[in-house]
Amino acid sequence: MFRNTRVLPGFAPTLGFTLLYLSLIVLIPLSATVVKSAGLGLEGFWQVITSPRVMASYRLTFGASLLAASINAVFGLLVAWVLVRYPFPGKRVVDALVDLPFALPTSVAGIALSSLYADQGWMGAGFAALGIKITYTPLGVVVALTFIGLPFVVRTLQPVLEDFEAELEEAAASLGASRWQTFWWVIFPTLLPGLLTGFALAFARAVGEYGSVIFIAGNIPMVSEITPLLIITRLEEYDYAGATALAVSMLVVSFSLLLIINGLQRWSQLSRL
Amino acid sequence: MSIEIKQIEKSFGRFKALKSIDFAVESGELIALLGPSGCGKTTLLRIIAGLETPDKGCILFHGEDATDRHVRDRNVGFVFQHYALFRHMTVFENIAFGLRVRPRSQRPPEAALRRKVHDLLNLVQLDWLADRYPPQLSGGQRQRIALARALAIEPKVLLLDEPFGALDARVRKDLRRWLRRLHDELHVTSVFVTHDQEEALEVADRVVVLNEGRIEQIGTPESVYDHPASPFVYQFLGDVNLFHGRVHEGEAQIGDARIIWPEQSPQDSAVFYVRPHEIDITRTAESTAAIAACISDIRTLGATVRIELERSDGQGLVEAELARDQFSTLALTKGEVVYLQPRRLKLFSTVAETTGQ
Repeated sequence: MFRNTRVLPGFAPTLGFTLLYLSLIVLIPLSATVVKSAGLGLEGFWQVITSPRVMASYRLTFGASLLAASINAVFGLLVAWVLVRYPFPGKRVVDALVDLPFALPTSVAGIALSSLYADQGWMGAGFAALGIKITYTPLGVVVALTFIGLPFVVRTLQPVLEDFEAELEEAAASLGASRWQTFWWVIFPTLLPGLLTGFALAFARAVGEYGSVIFIAGNIPMVSEITPLLIITRLEEYDYAGATALAVSMLVVSFSLLLIINGLQRWSQLSRL
Repeated sequence: MSIEIKQIEKSFGRFKALKSIDFAVESGELIALLGPSGCGKTTLLRIIAGLETPDKGCILFHGEDATDRHVRDRNVGFVFQHYALFRHMTVFENIAFGLRVRPRSQRPPEAALRRKVHDLLNLVQLDWLADRYPPQLSGGQRQRIALARALAIEPKVLLLDEPFGALDARVRKDLRRWLRRLHDELHVTSVFVTHDQEEALEVADRVVVLNEGRIEQIGTPESVYDHPASPFVYQFLGDVNLFHGRVHEGEAQIGDARIIWPEQSPQDSAVFYVRPHEIDITRTAESTAAIAACISDIRTLGATVRIELERSDGQGLVEAELARDQFSTLALTKGEVVYLQPRRLKLFSTVAETTGQ
């Protein structure tokens, strides 16, 4: 493995640099949070991260994030499909629109969404008539997280779809497969790894999202309060140890969920060596 | 099943890919569509398959109009140049695909399906690869699996798009002989596209030579090779030497050489076509039909020797091909002046052909 027979030399320096870089950017700040939270002691730490209000915020944050990422997986696939497969007027504009949730400051998105979906807002009024309340409910959180997560799925799937060989579809059709069978048995399996990546990215982003959520969520304790907001609240109270304790607990959960998604992705790719 | 192709035309934008294509494939026949790249042969094959729709004309399967029938309902087996195997499925599942996607009522029970797939794997002699994935196979193996997959749906017509184009020379040769034997066993009406004249001549019952969207000639490999209908066909089917000259008073005149030419129509500027292996080389001028030339290069290609000669009258280069034995008997060397005698000349525009001397 360390014999230098590659075309491009420099395995050792690049690995060293990567590790250093990751340490500076990711590992050291993260371990600092762990160190900080250690001031609570094990029992105190456990108490902080398992109090009922915090538990409710976990359920909301991770539940809404998973739901939003799932919605994005479905509709992001649809958007990517349409953008790659069909020519239509204004396609480039629509394509650029997809990136907008990336570019928009999250608080701007939050304000826009909450005024739109408020009971008197354009969209909210319609839903209110149906008896569905969006702002100040967990549903509002899902709406905001769906909004900011869309580009991840679309942008990871687009290149995969563009590279898809038309011949595979033709082969499936010549063997008698219907459109749906072709999609489900031939196209979808090749998209799956990309879809999972997009899902994981959208999920990770949603878990850490703060700005766009707090306006639409209303932040009612036990109902529509997300964990990042709790962390900010603790910070404002100068309870640094408590804030970092919550941060660590989120990190652990997020990290394990991402590991699971990565594992799924590995598994779905295994057959495509 | 017989296929009739009637007055097919197809354009891509302003480019006319096919111009009024008309021919018929008889039931059980193996036909080669032969032509240089861009001649429309693949487009024609895709139109027969239903993967492309013609602008004009129609396709008849067994006398029935199939022009508007979807590819999925045509019951054709299509083999792609780059195999188009499903990478995420095992070899077994690839072959089973066509059976599994059938409507429930026509789907064979699992046991029958397994038997059928293994029969097909045996047919292509790759039963031991059933559980592998396509990326783990060699090119030749992949193409045989692709063929087995196409045969699984018991197609009435088998269409192959440059099936051996992506393989190396040795595998290509093996595989095309194997395809010929397979066809002799199964007798399924087959059309395959190729740009390799050797492949077309070796494998096909009949060859359709295409050029720039038109059919140049249709015929058995022998007739196409021995009696090419146009200079294009002659040149496409093998190496060729051009001799400029004229026909005058029952003689073909090439430089100083005079060859008896019984055709009466005189021509002031004629182009004679001669294959490199239809040229005799002698040390002395044995008749008036000999053309003097100087050997400029000698190359040994396995069983034959290719000799490049410069004509002494300054009319350009000539390529001749001799069998190895013949070459050693003559013991030719570079720089030597020798005499060329074409055994067979072909002259187009006046439909004439004769044997030299």
